Amino acid sequence: MSEAGHWIYTLSTSGHNYTFNLDTIFTMWFAMAVVIIFALLATRKLSLVPGKMQAVSESILKFFWGTLDTMMPNKNRQHVPLVASLFLFILTANLMGQLPLRIIHMKTGELASPTNDLNVTGALAIIVLIYYVAAGLKAKGAKFFLHEFSFTGIVMALVELLEMVTRPLSLAIRLFANVFAGEILISIALGLYAYFLPLPIMLFELLVAFIQATVFMMLTIAYISSASSEEH
Amino acid sequence: MIEGQISQMAHLGAGIAIGFGAIGAGLGIGFATKGLMDAVSRQPEVAGKAFGFFLLGAALSEACALYAFVIAFQLLGK
Repeated sequence: MSEAGHWIYTLSTSGHNYTFNLDTIFTMWFAMAVVIIFALLATRKLSLVPGKMQAVSESILKFFWGTLDTMMPNKNRQHVPLVASLFLFILTANLMGQLPLRIIHMKTGELASPTNDLNVTGALAIIVLIYYVAAGLKAKGAKFFLHEFSFTGIVMALVELLEMVTRPLSLAIRLFANVFAGEILISIALGLYAYFLPLPIMLFELLVAFIQATVFMMLTIAYISSASSEEH
Repeated sequence: MIEGQISQMAHLGAGIAIGFGAIGAGLGIGFATKGLMDAVSRQPEVAGKAFGFFLLGAALSEACALYAFVIAFQLLGK
């Protein structure tokens, strides 16, 4: 078992080399398929008296509504699609890491959760960056970038430009490092005392999967809320 | 420096990085636990809600150690 390496495929066209982490692409599509199939099954036969699937999905939606209500004062329902799909995708992706997909042998790397690749988490963080900048521009126009013309206003504008870099960076590295460290920890425990020592750590990783998905969602809501609220 | 020495120094640096990173995260989780204990001993009825916030804060401060872990892992590959 290589330690969370990737199955890298290099494509050379017209003098450029493009590298693809094929294992990440495969596991990411798998996680996406799980979420999409769940959504299709949940919305197939909608009725006033909910069936089993519909009751589960309604309670999930109520969880997002409650979280948004506590963290964002008004006009919060429009952000449910982004927030809910981020949470469900990251949760599925993190939980996939504990599936026994590693027994499928590949040349290099292994099939684990797609969030152990910095490229995936970076893409998610950039989506969040674009979304909250767009929400701020929609709510405040050009005043989102320029505050009042004074010393503190200019300093605040510069600090917010800096935050546009540090916020996605910390979001991406937090999620990536948690999942990656968990996999390294499991493989070290497997080397120390095989088959028994990894079990409690894998149970802890299930908790970490939930917590990291929640943290990503909460920070996304906090960024959107601070960008689109009136006062600063 | 010679090639072998660079690799040795990189391994030393990895150890130092994860060590100092762990100090900060340990302090952070300790303070978070202290806050949770204070809140629960004052108002035992908020225990469930406070534990949720505690998990969030613990995850956020634990992430600082994991940044150091990523740096250390990059250094180990040198």
